[in-house]
Amino acid sequence: MSQIKIINVAFRRCVGCRLCEQWCSYSHDGKANPAMARIKVLRDLESSGDIPMVCHQCATPLCLNKCPAGALYRDNKTGAIRLDRGACLGCGLCVEACPHGGVGVDSGGYPLICDLCDGKPQCVTHCPVGALSFLRRDLVDRVVKADVARKSGGEGY
Amino acid sequence: MTAEGLTGRLLRVDLSTGKIAVEAIPEDVARSFLGGRGLGAYYFDREIKPGIDPLGLQNKLIFSCGPLLGTMVPGGNKVCVTFKSPLTGTYSYSLCGGHWGPELKTAGYDALVVEGVSKYPVYLFIDDESVSICPADHIWGQLIPETDSALRGEIGDPFVKVACIGPAGERLNRMACITADCYREFGRGGAGAVMGAKKLKALVIRGSRGVIVKEPGKIASISEKMVKDLKRHVTVQARHSYGTPEMVEEINYLGFWSTRNFSTGQFNDAGKLSGKAMKKEIVQGDSSCFSCPVACGKRSAINSASYGRVELEGPEFETIGLLGANCGVSQWEYIVQAAKICDSYGMDTMSSGAVVAMIMEAFEKGRISEEQLDGLRPRFGDGSVMVELLQRIGDRKGIGDLLAEGLQASAGQLGISDLAMHVKGLPLATYDPRGCKGMALTYGTSPKGAHHMVSPTMGLELAGNRFSVEGKGLLVRKTQQHMALVDSLSLCSSMRFVLNLEGQLQILEAATGLVLSEEEALRIGDRIINLERMCNVRMGFDRRHDVLPRRFLEEPLPEGLSGGQVVEMDDLLNDYYSVMGWDERGIPTPEKLKTLDLAT
Repeated sequence: MSQIKIINVAFRRCVGCRLCEQWCSYSHDGKANPAMARIKVLRDLESSGDIPMVCHQCATPLCLNKCPAGALYRDNKTGAIRLDRGACLGCGLCVEACPHGGVGVDSGGYPLICDLCDGKPQCVTHCPVGALSFLRRDLVDRVVKADVARKSGGEGY
Repeated sequence: MTAEGLTGRLLRVDLSTGKIAVEAIPEDVARSFLGGRGLGAYYFDREIKPGIDPLGLQNKLIFSCGPLLGTMVPGGNKVCVTFKSPLTGTYSYSLCGGHWGPELKTAGYDALVVEGVSKYPVYLFIDDESVSICPADHIWGQLIPETDSALRGEIGDPFVKVACIGPAGERLNRMACITADCYREFGRGGAGAVMGAKKLKALVIRGSRGVIVKEPGKIASISEKMVKDLKRHVTVQARHSYGTPEMVEEINYLGFWSTRNFSTGQFNDAGKLSGKAMKKEIVQGDSSCFSCPVACGKRSAINSASYGRVELEGPEFETIGLLGANCGVSQWEYIVQAAKICDSYGMDTMSSGAVVAMIMEAFEKGRISEEQLDGLRPRFGDGSVMVELLQRIGDRKGIGDLLAEGLQASAGQLGISDLAMHVKGLPLATYDPRGCKGMALTYGTSPKGAHHMVSPTMGLELAGNRFSVEGKGLLVRKTQQHMALVDSLSLCSSMRFVLNLEGQLQILEAATGLVLSEEEALRIGDRIINLERMCNVRMGFDRRHDVLPRRFLEEPLPEGLSGGQVVEMDDLLNDYYSVMGWDERGIPTPEKLKTLDLAT
């Protein structure tokens, strides 16, 4: 499991362009529609920040554990949480369970969860400012540490 | 026109009757006017009669989207509002970036026309097909950030997009903006006052349809390439690092930066206000509009002894020009606080700054007294008085009540019209026209008064002879045509760094299937400019109103690299009118209008 790669969000770097939403929906549905994206950028006006919200591929996924229908499963190849739409009840418990706000809902009421684009997440590829990265779970803390160190100590960051 | 790229749907809301209807936009309109600014011109011409009161029952707010709005194309986020301006009495339009325009498009509309006047404060909630007019008594009077936050809370969805007015618009301040996403404005011309007169506090949108384009794959690959090109472009890199204030140093070096109410073109403290200085002193992070990797918006904050902690997005280059150099103010705490007041009340930083600069000059020259100014003693360089004046303008308190009527009207009342730097009532932007003659013509002939983005020729002129008159008519006409197209496609003007007309037309084709030659496209640009001009002509505007204030014609810039320059207005206008096919009064000839398929 340690070799699994996850999407890491450096929200301080996000500028709120929402190109990630566009590429996500385009690569899944063939047309860009932010409302159908598996990643969503929330503009938090209280702190004037933009926060990309997406599945973090938790080691112990609460969404999967909460699902009463067994419709969520982990993809063995990528480690992504996948949806068996046929089994899904559309009950929304996964949406509520996610601590990252990483589960969305599509226009039919079914969950929208990041599938890591089969190992090549388009949101990461197309983020113009490096706010999203695709990292090994067991190494993710190193990038976070570097970011925090730069933010607090480095000049001109 | 096929359905792709455009929805072909117009949402019409009558606040007097509460009637809400969806209309089809005639199919041939897109081919003649594209969308955005062009579409606004089309509807203004048909629906807004020349003699109406801009703050009365018959004015309308025409919001319009272009074919690239809300697509993956970088910079495809500029939505247009067209209206009769309460500040100038002219035709006016204003463009706004951010996320609100794309949300309108993705809710399924190319245009939104708001007409009539509500009896009590309301806001409009557009939730795809479901449109409702909701009471807004409880938020009437609130500042912009509070309004935005309250509405997102009330609807229970932090992702909805809000465009609203603040107390300035409610109090019919003629410099009032409509503000989207808290810090993106339909800034100039007083659209916020029109909205206030309609008792319309906000327009809230939630869209879920997406924008359908003809060739999604092609649009995606164009988008990918544009992002790469933008990241490589030197000017764009400067914009990304420092925002629009990256321009401060150059314009000041060249000696045509609006300084102390345009009394000179060089501000000695410019170094303190440069993009680099701003980044070092106050910038915390970057902020972007929809689909744009440039992120020229800057999130700033300052801890001020006088005002506490002040946070905002900006200030922009023009704001620094008109609240900074033009008022002689060089301390960030005052500029940031001044911009914060303008942003919170919802009033244009540029027009408001111009009013303060005029008052400062008038007071220094003894033309108005302390008594007339509620005991204030505004002098150039005094940032705290600038902030106080803006606060009173926002509150319409004391002298602020008069100044909220705008530069031209208040100058008239105070007997200082010679100190009011405007064209048709709209204060000049921060480029002193004496140092860049194409900009003089731009200010003079823009349909909405002295606005710079109608034909920003400065970049092109710096590569040639910026002081010469020769050729400027043609340069301005061409730039106006190109900008009319960019504005009608709904592209941000910064995209022109990496995208020429040929590139724009390729994207248009991929988005809509509409194939246009460059010649045909420029004809559309010409059509839009001439239609806008005719709307003004019908309202009584002509050559007499295209002339700049006497200061620019008679007082040479006193120093620096633009020293000695004045504006040769007559020569410039003669040249431009002849290039445009307009008569000597500046009125398009019937022959000219015929070639553009416009009514005479």
